[in-house]
Amino acid sequence: MRKTLFVLILTTCAASLLSSAACAQSSSAQTRVTIDPVPAVSVRAGHMTPAQLTFHILPGFHVNSNKPATPELIPTALNFSLPGDLVIAKVQYPAGQLLSFPFDPTQKLSVYSGDVNVKFSVIAQANAGAGSYTVHGELKYQACDNNACYPPKKIPVDFTVSITRGTPGHKYPHN
Amino acid sequence: MKKTPAIWKIERVFISALVGFLLFGGNVAYQRNPSVELPSAQSTLKAGSDAPGFELKIIGDHGKTMKLSDLKGKAVLVDFWATYCEPCKVEMPWFADLQKKYGPLGFQVIGISMDDEDMSAATIMGFARKMGVNYPILQGTERVADLYGGIDGLPLSFFIDRSGKIVDSQLGLVDKSVLEDNIKKSLAQGGDPAKTPSGK
Repeated sequence: MRKTLFVLILTTCAASLLSSAACAQSSSAQTRVTIDPVPAVSVRAGHMTPAQLTFHILPGFHVNSNKPATPELIPTALNFSLPGDLVIAKVQYPAGQLLSFPFDPTQKLSVYSGDVNVKFSVIAQANAGAGSYTVHGELKYQACDNNACYPPKKIPVDFTVSITRGTPGHKYPHN
Repeated sequence: MKKTPAIWKIERVFISALVGFLLFGGNVAYQRNPSVELPSAQSTLKAGSDAPGFELKIIGDHGKTMKLSDLKGKAVLVDFWATYCEPCKVEMPWFADLQKKYGPLGFQVIGISMDDEDMSAATIMGFARKMGVNYPILQGTERVADLYGGIDGLPLSFFIDRSGKIVDSQLGLVDKSVLEDNIKKSLAQGGDPAKTPSGK
């Protein structure tokens, strides 16, 4: 009797453990794209310095590239709202992979999957005051898997820029 | 083998630990991820539950609206879709065929566009026409999306019988035969048996 009770409790607990794990897995599956924190950037006034955003797409999902195959598709894009003394320039999105999917094997879409790096330059205006600034931005994407698509989402992208007057950096070419 | 008091003690501690995890551990695991979204409420709209009512603007029809209740007595397929959804593009011509085939038996497809509300009617209807749509396209709202479970993925189809009850729902692209089977079920349930399809 006691042994049966013990087995019953063990079975219940094992089922609970499994369901908790499944629950956690399905919850995290809702977050189809994650980003790495952008490291703090230091730039000399009147100069520019390179920076990079890395994001990761969950296996089994893809997002449109920055230049999708058709105009209806929503491009992956990085947008910033900047303090007056800073400019973001030369945003370089990688080229998308041209892939077809089971929902329409006849059409190739330009997509990202796996790990993606977006490079950009941070420019401090020549008259920028020295100090620490926070750049707020967002990564917009729209994900799909092999048979469904998910509403567009935005992930906040924030990082710190220190403007100095003595550190190295590439001189920003004024046109 | 006879159990000694020490073995009983170990067993009791083990059981207590497991019961403790059962009560608290699973909950902690669930809360650890701050980006947890609520479970998709498609799961709350079970077969047999009443389809949530709505009244939505018909896109490109000069501000006219359509209520789900206007279709009382008909089997209805509510298709949530968007222009950015490639799998939706595969289903839409199928829905047009199925509308033609089962419309005379009392079947109606309704498309609900989940595109941004600032997308023009001309863009949405231009897209729908390219897909051969022969059924009304309504402008989706967040409220209706919430009523139907938050619409986390597209295409999302709800099959509603003649009495307004949900027969089934499908998230993502499925085979046309699955859609057709659900339409037949919708036509067969909750109404006048004389109007049901033969299934052939």
